[in-house]
Amino acid sequence: MHKSTMPPSIGFLERAALRHPMRAHILALLALILITAIVAIAFALLIFVRPSSAAEPSRPAIAKQAENASTASAQRGKKLFTNDGCYECHGRVAQGGVGPRLGPDPLPLSFIQKYVRHPTGQMPPYTAKTVSDQDLADIYAFLKSLPESPKAKNIPLLND
Amino acid sequence: MYQDRGAKLAAAHQRTLNENRDLAANGWGASPISTARLSAEIWNQIRNEDWSLVSNCQFVNRWPLRLWSFDKYYQYIGGEGGYGVGYGAPASVGAALANRKYGRLTVSIQNDGDLMFAPGVLWTAAHSKIPLLIVMHNNRAYHQEVMEVQRMADVHERGITRAWIGTTLIDPPIDYGKLAQSMGMHGSALISDPNDLAPALREAIAVVKSGEPALVNVLTQPR
Repeated sequence: MHKSTMPPSIGFLERAALRHPMRAHILALLALILITAIVAIAFALLIFVRPSSAAEPSRPAIAKQAENASTASAQRGKKLFTNDGCYECHGRVAQGGVGPRLGPDPLPLSFIQKYVRHPTGQMPPYTAKTVSDQDLADIYAFLKSLPESPKAKNIPLLND
Repeated sequence: MYQDRGAKLAAAHQRTLNENRDLAANGWGASPISTARLSAEIWNQIRNEDWSLVSNCQFVNRWPLRLWSFDKYYQYIGGEGGYGVGYGAPASVGAALANRKYGRLTVSIQNDGDLMFAPGVLWTAAHSKIPLLIVMHNNRAYHQEVMEVQRMADVHERGITRAWIGTTLIDPPIDYGKLAQSMGMHGSALISDPNDLAPALREAIAVVKSGEPALVNVLTQPR
């Protein structure tokens, strides 16, 4: 097809495709495979990779975090957990309620410090303006300090 | 084919029950008492009776629906439909009245804020001798409102430590046992140790079986 017989508004890719239909088919197939591969990898990363491992902090950041954690106060954290309203959805001993159980054995501090700024689901955001990273380190210390609950299999009322 | 399907459903049901039991163990010994512990203790006292739960369990994380075994139509009242406030207490008394002629053991897990909309219904239950076991879910708050005000404060980044103002029932806390007694019905002391639940429930159930309403005041976790 001669260029002068094609409508002026047609783009470069469309023109190339019309000139070389076989090549266009192959390229289109390759593009489709590439896009599918990218989507599949992204899907796998989102579903199978925990955010904490995807958000691994750098060495200096890890050192600073350890410093925060060691100077963090579980006592102060317990006060914050109440005063900042965490207990309302997560329970007074973080056992869960409207929201999930948070302790003992909490998710990593680095994850918590990111998540509460942009939570998903029903949880409202706690921005840096209202709750600092140090506050969260204290809350984390409180969560770590909580005693273990008994296992259901050892509780007669929770067995038939 | 149906047996096959039935077997699969039964297995799925058991898996879900096991998961719920594992979750119920969280905070099992806590004070204030966890709503899972409360629900499990009530179940232990009523499971062998002709029981009927006449309160919506949304505010106790649906623990009765997750832990108990329901196989009769009259065992659950469901919700108020339109997110009505203060519906629970009058509805439970009405349902208990309907259950009376069948001799059913009628139980409600009563939210404290809900009761405070129309607490006079306790007098109705006493005056008309309507047998009803009221177990308070006393988290000392209009807690749904506490959470909503908290959400607004958090979103607006302002006043996040003040959601308790005008939404909590503290200072002083209300004594629901004495409230019940003032209306002419049995009311317990405040139960804040989960190990004290069983005897308090047994005592109240004895009153209810004799044909009168009874209230057990339990200090509970917020949800």
